[in-house]
Amino acid sequence: MYKHDVLIIGGGLAGLRAAVEVTRAGGDVAVISKVHPVRSHSNAAQGGINAPLTDRGDDWEGHAYDTIKGSDFLADQDAVEVMSVEAGDAVLELERMGVIFSRGDDGKLGTRRFGGQKIARTFFVGAITGSAILHVLFEQALKLGLNVYEEWFVTKLIIEDGRCRGVVAIDLKTGEIHTIKAKAVIMAAGGAGRVFEPSTNALICTGDGLALAYQAGAPLMDMEMIQYHPTTLARTGILMSEAARGEGAHLLNADGERFMEKTAPDYMELASRDVVSRAEQTEIDEGRGIDGNVLLDLRHLGRDFIEQRLGYLQEVSVEFLGIDMAEQPVPVQPGMHYIMGGIKTDIDGATNVPGLYAAGECANVSVHGANRLGANSLLDTVVFGRRSAVHAIEYIKSVDDHSASEEELASEQVRLQALLDRPKGERVATLRNDMARGMTRGIGVFRDQSSMEGALENLENVKSRMSGFSIENKGKIFNTDLMFGLELEFMVDCAEAVVAGALTRKESRGAHFRTDITERDDDNWLKHTLVYKDETQEHGTRVETSDVKITQWQPVKRVY
Amino acid sequence: MKYAFYPGCVARGGAPELYDSALAVMDRLDIEHVELTKAACTGAGVLQEKNLKMGDILNVRTFAMAEQMGLPIMVLCSTCQGVMAQANHRVKRDPEYLAEINKHLEDEGLEYKGTTSVKHLLWVLIEDIGLDKLKETFTRELTGMNMAPFYGCYMVRPSDALEFSSNPQRETSLEDLIQSVGGNVTDFAGKTACCGFPILFINQANSMKMVANHTGTAKDLGADAMVTPCPLCHLNLDGYQPKARRQVRGDKADLPVIHVPQLIGLAMGMNEKTLGLKKHIVSTKKIVRMAEALPSKV
Amino acid sequence: MQANLKVKRFDPADEGGKTWWQEYKVDVHPDSTVLDSLIQIREQDDGTLALRCACRASICGSCGMKVNGDAKLVCKTRVVDIAPNGEQLVIEPMGNQHVIRDLVVSLDTFFSQIQRVDPFLQPDHVPEQGEYIASNDSMENLLTSMNCIMCGCCVSDCTVLEVDANFIGPAALAKAWRFTEDPRDSKRDERLKVLNDEAGGIWDCTRCLKCVEVCPKGVAPMDRIMELRESAIEAGNTNTPGYHHTESFYNSVKKNGRLDETRLAMDSAGWTNIPRLLDLVPIGIAAMRKGKLPPLIPHKSEDHKKVKDLYDNVEGESS
Repeated sequence: MYKHDVLIIGGGLAGLRAAVEVTRAGGDVAVISKVHPVRSHSNAAQGGINAPLTDRGDDWEGHAYDTIKGSDFLADQDAVEVMSVEAGDAVLELERMGVIFSRGDDGKLGTRRFGGQKIARTFFVGAITGSAILHVLFEQALKLGLNVYEEWFVTKLIIEDGRCRGVVAIDLKTGEIHTIKAKAVIMAAGGAGRVFEPSTNALICTGDGLALAYQAGAPLMDMEMIQYHPTTLARTGILMSEAARGEGAHLLNADGERFMEKTAPDYMELASRDVVSRAEQTEIDEGRGIDGNVLLDLRHLGRDFIEQRLGYLQEVSVEFLGIDMAEQPVPVQPGMHYIMGGIKTDIDGATNVPGLYAAGECANVSVHGANRLGANSLLDTVVFGRRSAVHAIEYIKSVDDHSASEEELASEQVRLQALLDRPKGERVATLRNDMARGMTRGIGVFRDQSSMEGALENLENVKSRMSGFSIENKGKIFNTDLMFGLELEFMVDCAEAVVAGALTRKESRGAHFRTDITERDDDNWLKHTLVYKDETQEHGTRVETSDVKITQWQPVKRVY
Repeated sequence: MKYAFYPGCVARGGAPELYDSALAVMDRLDIEHVELTKAACTGAGVLQEKNLKMGDILNVRTFAMAEQMGLPIMVLCSTCQGVMAQANHRVKRDPEYLAEINKHLEDEGLEYKGTTSVKHLLWVLIEDIGLDKLKETFTRELTGMNMAPFYGCYMVRPSDALEFSSNPQRETSLEDLIQSVGGNVTDFAGKTACCGFPILFINQANSMKMVANHTGTAKDLGADAMVTPCPLCHLNLDGYQPKARRQVRGDKADLPVIHVPQLIGLAMGMNEKTLGLKKHIVSTKKIVRMAEALPSKV
Repeated sequence: MQANLKVKRFDPADEGGKTWWQEYKVDVHPDSTVLDSLIQIREQDDGTLALRCACRASICGSCGMKVNGDAKLVCKTRVVDIAPNGEQLVIEPMGNQHVIRDLVVSLDTFFSQIQRVDPFLQPDHVPEQGEYIASNDSMENLLTSMNCIMCGCCVSDCTVLEVDANFIGPAALAKAWRFTEDPRDSKRDERLKVLNDEAGGIWDCTRCLKCVEVCPKGVAPMDRIMELRESAIEAGNTNTPGYHHTESFYNSVKKNGRLDETRLAMDSAGWTNIPRLLDLVPIGIAAMRKGKLPPLIPHKSEDHKKVKDLYDNVEGESS
């Protein structure tokens, strides 16, 4: 009999921030996560968190505009305004919880520059900002005695009378399947990087949250907006923070030129990520790369500076590639990193399914539009994590009771057992690799009709094999093999939505860059794509569009 | 080969058999040495808990004395080895800190320039003399003797201060030595673990568990004796073995623990008096008899 | 390149809990890590192998396990570095923690230790406006502890935890250190007192350096524990055998240039602690019988007054 007022799926920044908020309001809340909260992928965010601090002469409109411009005007401006207005308090609150942000000489919070912004308003902890914040939020969770269903894997949302009423989940440690009933559910399960290969994302980023909401009838918005981070370490794909460029690192091609001059003479290496990734890819494709990479040069920053401000990057470079960044430039290339697309929500995190909220990378408010600025993701998680919680607390006042149904439990038990009982077939990893490589090929930094159709064809092929994969591990205790099969199903759903969105948008905007339609088309396409799961349709999807919300800033040509 | 000899406090105090056997072995090998009689205790890591800088000053002073003599330092104790290596590592990487320390040494006319090396007798035997040359001095092969190695924490950690990456032989020095005397290595998981001496006077229960676990396990695996390069480990593993074994396993202290020079001395044919083998708490009679029963090399 | 692994398997559901060794050989890229090899085994050869891993970039802390007896983060352990000639690598789950399945251990031990040290900031006021003011140096100083990714390697290999499950442990103590050093925390003295007084606290560390050696992030937990001891003493916590031991050692060298072992033993026991003093009698007698009881008037180093002078200088400096 597991039940709570609010159940939060995901123990990363958005999830924990929401949990803290509900606990403070006296609500009965629990977090459910397939990994221990501190293992959440929030810990991989490196560079910092943005906030305009008005006491220093920065204004929220400046941050909002940079964000909107960065989004190539696809962001909903009311949502961006909310985020920029609340940012200052959000960051201060984290500091007061104990985050060890870097300081200036005056002992106040220090800043660094980040992409797409001329003003330095990124607050940071070395190159481990995400980890530093996550650990402090977890400390707060310990302090508040937060209930965590640790290493429980959600397989389905319980939807009753069109409302979200809880989840069905496997306790990985025992293999037992349970329901957890809740009056409201906040989906904070992160992104879907593993739909692509390679990706900076952890192996756990399999789009579970996106798929669960999608299956429950919530639309996935702007899924074609896939961010390729410009500086992922050669061979390993490990993220090398934008902070390096924020602190002054240069990008060089094989001829030793700072090639960003050609496409972004003003912002140079700190143009928006999609602009930088495309510039790099162009250098590589046109033969001015080195083994498929360009070079990130930090030598002029000096060893002490690197070790103090960018210590983790040096650690990675030395440990994984044997390169000392103070002596040599580091080979990097664009790598899939973040999905701007996600579960459509309003500015309070509400989806179109009553009782279901979403926050963090799995959600799309939209604050990032067609391209996310660096250091805005961490901000997004805490602002909308909090807002979702606030709204959920209000919402549950109108919910009298918990669902009593065990139907979903019964059907999931049957489904999962059937999966386990399948005769020997293809391995999950084979299907996943086939799908993910096809997605990267077809929906990459540059794409066109034929590449995207190729991705669709590849995905359809993978889908046709989905009923044939088998699970080797038939046991109950910590059966990760079964979990990978379930994750594969989620990933295929996400991929389906990405491809549908990509084929729908007939323009280039932000990260969706079509070499066959290179211009932005505000007349026809200042719109969001909304993909709904619809088995009656040819590829299982139905795509609608909705208008972008404009408040203050009319779209202009984006120049860096 | 000449060394500035630093026997350490325990070799001159609670484990005099180490000092005596070491001198006998060095004599046989013609290892010239000058004892650093003015050098202070290394602090063993304990002094450093109260004041790290004081500990570093005392050790840098010792390094400076040896440097003045133009000699490398030889020690008999894992703890001395480790503590000195750590101090050396620290000051070599921080010239400002070294300068501060040298200021304190001005009165004695000492100044450390960073060139002194510190080596345990065990490493001297393997690295400076070489096992082949060492074997030439052996008069018997300790065939059939099972020896369990027990390094002592400070002889194997931290590996960077002990320069393991450029000296990989240090990782298996004890095993190599045991094999060179003709013995069999009784391998066991605790060989690089802690003997419990540092907490002997602080949490005796835990200390006894460690002694009992290590000596008991080695005995269960068939060891005839344990060899250790650290007299502090020896104090615990030998001196407290009776209490530990009784308390934790309910059995008797039946595993003699010997020092490195004693092992070598046995292979060199030296007698138990010279090697101080009668001074152990846990009787070494059995292994002495085993060694004496072995044929001498012609 | 071939990676040659011998993995310790465990299935609690099999015959009430079966443990066995399984050998695997996989062809991997020359730069592969041990984790890459394990993932390949799991994906291509044996889907039943259970292990935790996520980020592959040494930041999430999931993939701690024992390789050839020492705990490591396998995502940053290259096969070619530890098995240059194709040697077999022995892979086991982390130590000192209950094994759930194969290479997956329960995190309960680790996190219950963390909970014991009140691991959250306890300020005594909230700034009226803006942030707490703190120097950058004071924040950077905390990075050593903040770098901890809670991987459990230190707990796995701690030699005290092997014999005493009540020890708070290296990870939790390193975390506690962070709060005693955070200028915004108001409970420094209280924290130090508890860590000093509590059974299983800072004085139970045996200073074996295992945690320093195995920590993949340079947290050096033992060094943090030593700093906690120094701080605890400075804050006036002088009621433990550990304190007496340290103090005695320090003073012995000051007086004699060398360690007076007999005196050390008695000081550490505590002169008013009759039971503990009596406890020393058997070993004292045994040593005396063998003619090696250190003399009551201790040996001094030659010219030991110079050592005292050094002490006076240093102590004068800090006062």
